[in-house]
Amino acid sequence: MKDQGITASGRIKWGYAFNQWKLGWQGFARVEDHIRALKVTSAAGFRNVELTAGTGPWDPTGRPESIAQNFGSTPKFAATHGDWGIDRFPGVFFDPAQFSFEEGHGGLRTTARADHPLLLQQGGVFARFLAEVGGEYLVVQPFPPFWKEGALTAETLAIAAEAINALGEANRALGLKTWLHVDALSALRTTDELDRLLALCPGPHVGLALDTAELTIAGHDVVQLYRRFHARVGHFHFKDALAIDALGEYRLPHADRAMILAGGQREVPRWFGELGTGLVDFKGLVAAMKELGYAGWVIVESDKGPQPVASSVLLNSYYVQSTLLPRLA
Amino acid sequence: MTAAARKLRFAYMDHWRVDGPQGYVSQYSSVKLLDGFVRQVAALGFEGLETFEFHVPVLVDLFGSLANAREFLQERGIERIVGLFHAVMYRDGVSQAHERATHDFLFNNALQTVKSCGGLGVRNLVMMPAGQYHAVEPVSDEKIRACADLWSRVGRMTLDYGIRVCCHHEFYCGIHHAEELRKFYEWSDPRYVFWYCDTAQHTISGVDPVDLYLKLHDRCGGFHLKDTHHVDRLGEYRQAPESEVTAKTTPRWFWEMGTEEGLVDFPALFKAMKEYGYEGWVGVEHDKADIGGGNYPASTAISAWYIRNVLQKIYA
Repeated sequence: MKDQGITASGRIKWGYAFNQWKLGWQGFARVEDHIRALKVTSAAGFRNVELTAGTGPWDPTGRPESIAQNFGSTPKFAATHGDWGIDRFPGVFFDPAQFSFEEGHGGLRTTARADHPLLLQQGGVFARFLAEVGGEYLVVQPFPPFWKEGALTAETLAIAAEAINALGEANRALGLKTWLHVDALSALRTTDELDRLLALCPGPHVGLALDTAELTIAGHDVVQLYRRFHARVGHFHFKDALAIDALGEYRLPHADRAMILAGGQREVPRWFGELGTGLVDFKGLVAAMKELGYAGWVIVESDKGPQPVASSVLLNSYYVQSTLLPRLA
Repeated sequence: MTAAARKLRFAYMDHWRVDGPQGYVSQYSSVKLLDGFVRQVAALGFEGLETFEFHVPVLVDLFGSLANAREFLQERGIERIVGLFHAVMYRDGVSQAHERATHDFLFNNALQTVKSCGGLGVRNLVMMPAGQYHAVEPVSDEKIRACADLWSRVGRMTLDYGIRVCCHHEFYCGIHHAEELRKFYEWSDPRYVFWYCDTAQHTISGVDPVDLYLKLHDRCGGFHLKDTHHVDRLGEYRQAPESEVTAKTTPRWFWEMGTEEGLVDFPALFKAMKEYGYEGWVGVEHDKADIGGGNYPASTAISAWYIRNVLQKIYA
């Protein structure tokens, strides 16, 4: 077979996300389904996979306890993934605002000091797992969605920064970086707020994960954003955006459902798309990454696309091989 | 590794369909749909395609010419249409390979196909060399000889167009038992008739494709690598109207390489291919991969995974 050359492509470390495979709470619950999905990802040329923090008994790779239950133990999991064509699990995506059966909460707020101990406890579960499997980072959603939190204030920013810094220190002690991922619904809306957050959370062990689609939907120009914050960016989620939240529907109650899944007032059928099919200027972005010597992770995502999931993974692989890698060479 | 340095290059035999807003449609319905299909196959590392002859006029319609169609494929990393499946509609008294009176019709049919596909880079014309078993039986030596003579005649003609006749024995083909196969290849002209090794079809027939490769390696014109979970032990190859889709016991016969239940010994086949120095195109096929909730992109990716992680370690 023709070499794809994705994983071994210079300074950038490429990987693929895993969240797209989960279909409802009880779907994608079998070990063999996960192994098959990992093989599909590997076949597409992505031999590094970023896991997503999950909860409950229906997600074999969602938590270390589930991994132990389904694969024997974390060391055994680490010793086996090469058999599936996967080199590494470099990181885990962790959104504290999602409820957790195991920690017994309905969503944590970085902006509430009372939530910090449990947040650190939960983050530690994934960080220790990553340290055990040779991972490098934890991606964290630094704020709850706007519809829950409202606009950030100096005080809530500072409180969130306390949690992030504590998490960042704990992760650093385990040899991990902490990348902050702002999504389209986040309470953090502006570059000014991002400036203030980064000032409160010094690096280099804490930095930014730029999600090209989420930030585009939120109204940002990701090329400009990257140029402005490149010194703090160590991680990307690459996916395309098919629409912009021009109506400010991130404010809607339950915007995760009302805006993202239902499409909002315009009934946007799909917010996220395969690379090169939407509004993100990937060619401009990788030109900037090359110019500025980016040397971190790029995790490609197929977020909430139509079935079959494999189709989206293959189309993104094609775009990376044919359009992005030649521009980064 | 460059294309020239690879002893094996992989082609994908195309049965895909695309699920879209208008339901389940052929990817040949538009340039956009075909583009998505080609990109997905190319992303996995395939460098060639195989398809059915009835897609050729559609390609002309979509691209204006077959040269344009090939340029479209090459821009996306697909070098050529390696194999064209000649979908002969066998009918008694009109077009039956074992009926010599119909041979001129079948010859001209094949001639028309090879004349019409110029520009795509086709190397192999792949066909089932006899009608369905229920239409041919009782299978006699005379009938097998008639089929052998037909395809020898056709194969001599197609070579003038740079295309080999490659016979592909479905498990319901009139020639599929081991002894029938032996006779057919003994009585057909080895200069003009080649064997296409469909690993699943032979396995369903109770014929080990590795054993057959060891016997017919010098006649092997290519492969359709696919797996099966079932051997036809009940004689369902006789099932009309067509055993592949109407067999009573088995709704899905074909699986991608790399499933635990698979019966084909692909590692042994690749060892044999290495031993006998097979070089060139190797076709991978998923036929009816969507039955029971499967889908073509995942099946194709799993096969590609199996090639990269298992077979290429044996022979690349």
